[in-house]
Amino acid sequence: MSGGRYMADGKSQSLFREKPIKVLLAKPGIDGHDRGVLVLAKAFRDAGMEVLYVGLLPTPEDVVDTAINEDVDVIALSLLNGAHLTVFRKVMDIMKNKGIDDISVVGGGTIPDEDKPELEALGISGNYGPGTPLSTIIEHVRMRAEEARIKKLR
Amino acid sequence: MVEGVVRSDRRSIARAISYMEDGHTEIKKEIMEKLYSHCGKAHVVGITGPPGIGKSTLIGNISVLLAKKGMNVSVLAVDASSPYSGGSLLGNRIRMQENLFNYGIYMRSLANRGARGGLSESCMGAVNVLDASGSEIILIETVGAGQADLDIMNLADTTILVLGPGLGDQIQAIKAGIMEIADLFVINKMDIDGSYFAMKDIEEVISMDDPRGYKRRVTGTSATDHAGYDELVGTILDHGRYLSGEGTIGRKRFLMGARWILESEIGRIIIDPAMDAIKKKGTDRNPYVLAEKIISQLNAEISKEL
Repeated sequence: MSGGRYMADGKSQSLFREKPIKVLLAKPGIDGHDRGVLVLAKAFRDAGMEVLYVGLLPTPEDVVDTAINEDVDVIALSLLNGAHLTVFRKVMDIMKNKGIDDISVVGGGTIPDEDKPELEALGISGNYGPGTPLSTIIEHVRMRAEEARIKKLR
Repeated sequence: MVEGVVRSDRRSIARAISYMEDGHTEIKKEIMEKLYSHCGKAHVVGITGPPGIGKSTLIGNISVLLAKKGMNVSVLAVDASSPYSGGSLLGNRIRMQENLFNYGIYMRSLANRGARGGLSESCMGAVNVLDASGSEIILIETVGAGQADLDIMNLADTTILVLGPGLGDQIQAIKAGIMEIADLFVINKMDIDGSYFAMKDIEEVISMDDPRGYKRRVTGTSATDHAGYDELVGTILDHGRYLSGEGTIGRKRFLMGARWILESEIGRIIIDPAMDAIKKKGTDRNPYVLAEKIISQLNAEISKEL
């Protein structure tokens, strides 16, 4: 705690002087398919982000509360049960009611192409499906995190 | 933001802690100075122990018991950052969040960002934010700690060391370091074989304590059987009352705050000008004597102050 105790000489020492992106992974609703979300958790960690996962079966309220308390930059929602339009919308409604606009929301899972415009209109971007390269998702989260960071500075 | 923290507004608290993590030193100092007049009420309880021993689950369970007693509880949990990517998987929350949701307990995960000693650089700031927001008990979970991760002793009023069965014999128990800094011991996983031997080893350690000090205690707990938590909460509150009686609650944070300011400024205010003065001297002078001379002058100034 005292002084600037950074890691001993290593290849990525400089990373600790930047502010890591904080991302919350969540599967709100009744859906136990968490393999994808766990793969992403590790990928985000390896991309230098601070990753939180709310675990299985949180309510949309739980997700938003956690995002507020942890002051995350991005909420990454994942559902593979087909309820994305209902549940993702609920998350956005709660955020709107609480007046939160400085946290970006991205989506993913088994989302049909025809649902994507509706999610985009809600402010949920990405909406990547299985088989998307991790680098695409990481790049997208980075971009949305930057947007959130700029809003936080107001 | 400071007003929001004092009003106990969750978003303000969360943002203030983010400033403690990411902000420049000047901003941090400003927030800390403003918040300090609202601080000093909280009993800070540090929970440390090896990885996987059950610290997070334990915190989840005792935070509920404390909340049921009508206390305002909050939780800080520190997890390790990757030495390769700088990223972190903040996994403590998942062990306790069910309880947190049900009781509206504020919990924040912090990555240690390469800090050694079991805490993060932002920990002291985060504790002060929570204290100013009206928390009566702040539970801090360290990164799963080894024998020399002792930073928690400088921050927590009560340090709890969580151990389990199969971690070593009596010699292990009387080693220097983490065994000495604990105010209370917990043997977790009491449902597993060998836990009573672990209890006995710790009891032997405690029996050798200086009888004039606080009488340290060991409690056995088990999440599987949901056992021992009431007793543990009792011992925590008892230690809190002992410290209140002594008038030492918050003393460590008071000292740590002062040290933090001194250490962050010492280079710029003292070492830089002193080095400038020394640079003007020729190399025929003895550098050790010159430096000693500056230090003795500074010492004289410090004893005049305060």
